[in-house]
Amino acid sequence: MTVSIREKLEGKGLTVNSEHLPLLQARWDAIQDLKARIDSANLDDADISLVNIPGGDHIE
Amino acid sequence: MNEELIKKPVEELAPLIKNREVSSLELTKAVIDHAESLNEKVNAYVSFRRDEAEKEAEQADREIASGQYKGMYHGIPMAVKDNIYLKDEVTTMSSKIHGEFVSDYDATVITKMRDAGIVFTGKLNMHEYAWGITNNSPHFGAVRNPWNLDKIPGGSSGGSGAGVAADMTTATLGTDTAGSIRIPSSSCGIVGLKPTFGRVSKYGVFPLAWSLDHVGPMTKTVKDAAGLLEVIAGYDSNDPTSVNVPTEPYTSKLTGEVKGLRIGIYEEYYFKNVDSVVEDQVRKAIKTLEEMGAEVVTVNIPALQYAEYAELVTSLSEASTIHHRNLIKRPDDFGDDIRLLFEMGELFSSVEYLQAQQLRRQLKQDFRSAFEKVDVLLAPTLPVMPPDIGSDFADLNGKQVDLIDNFIRFMGPCNLAGLPAMTVPCGLNNGMPVGLQIIGPAFSESVILNTGFAFEQTNPLQGKRAGLTSSVS
Repeated sequence: MTVSIREKLEGKGLTVNSEHLPLLQARWDAIQDLKARIDSANLDDADISLVNIPGGDHIE
Repeated sequence: MNEELIKKPVEELAPLIKNREVSSLELTKAVIDHAESLNEKVNAYVSFRRDEAEKEAEQADREIASGQYKGMYHGIPMAVKDNIYLKDEVTTMSSKIHGEFVSDYDATVITKMRDAGIVFTGKLNMHEYAWGITNNSPHFGAVRNPWNLDKIPGGSSGGSGAGVAADMTTATLGTDTAGSIRIPSSSCGIVGLKPTFGRVSKYGVFPLAWSLDHVGPMTKTVKDAAGLLEVIAGYDSNDPTSVNVPTEPYTSKLTGEVKGLRIGIYEEYYFKNVDSVVEDQVRKAIKTLEEMGAEVVTVNIPALQYAEYAELVTSLSEASTIHHRNLIKRPDDFGDDIRLLFEMGELFSSVEYLQAQQLRRQLKQDFRSAFEKVDVLLAPTLPVMPPDIGSDFADLNGKQVDLIDNFIRFMGPCNLAGLPAMTVPCGLNNGMPVGLQIIGPAFSESVILNTGFAFEQTNPLQGKRAGLTSSVS
């Protein structure tokens, strides 16, 4: 099943401006082209992408 | 007299104020008169605060007269970007939704600037919510580039860039999430420094993307930037991203000596798809530094190939999260351009966001490896020249290319990796300035400032200025 950009946005409660859709689609396609490049990236399990600082925002 | 006075950088004004040859009040009035006179043309300010500024200037003059001189920025008049909160005053973010927003506290940088005796002349125009690079605001009008009023000033700190270039503010602060300090600084021929992530507090600065946002100086000279960084840098427990690393006396580290400095060049990324006129100016600047005794070394940063994707996913996702509720409730109150970006940010999955963060970690590691071989990296700030207001395209060696993609291409990596980066003017092309970008390892602001300072001594713009004059001076 393919979900369109309109359906995705409306599914999140957003009102979609129909005039935006062609440009939105074009920009989204361009990002997907960039995403294809990361298939070659060696994403290691140990590449921790978020950190959790114990007890607050800073270690004082 | 006043025409000459307002052109001066802070480094020249400071001794005049300290020695009471010029009063802060006289300077403040001159800057506001000039800015009010030019604002119809340039549109750099969204609001003036003449009465408050004159009181603050009088206070500064009293303090200086009684021997309580606080330093280089004491009594200096300055406007700030309108996403930085001044207590009990309107901060609009150049938006309709926050058009009447009043903060009940000062941003930490404002507190520090008040403590340094800075006088606030008003708030500066910006791209709506800092989410764009043209400063063509549907709510506050287009900011115009003082070097050529038909051109964009760059953004999102476009009022800041244009304001400094046109002497409408003596110096200022910008914010930078994907180049918003460096883009307008390069486009307007001034110095812009994005410090290391966490070096300057963001408490009381409206966010665009939490993990990418920075606050930093935009000034007429490198020494002015160093002095302003001394004022605003430092740990702040109110900012969850603030980092407790000691600051340095940045101005006293400006020796202008670059003998033995190792300059890194990464041809495959920073010199690929660059307009030839920009490339010529930047390569000339590198040659100049080499002739001054620096050594040029080729480096490799392979993860840069993923940077554009990681930057887009991260910035779009974080920005859309911040504005998610208003995007549902008040979509028509956003400008069309940023509404589209917010809609795009809603499309990414959590896995895509987190993969972008993994790529970001690899990028940091690759930069770290490069900085084991070199002290700084040099690159063009922008690969293309600023286009006319209203255009979504830029000229790249005769081809029309997407403006946003190309303006942020060399910016995003330093936001992702949190590295300090500065732009300094390095030449002119058809009367418009070109910027040289100097990037350093984390917390190396002293090194990149000194590299820029050394280059600045060669007078790359040969004394040329934007050249706008007011009718009052």
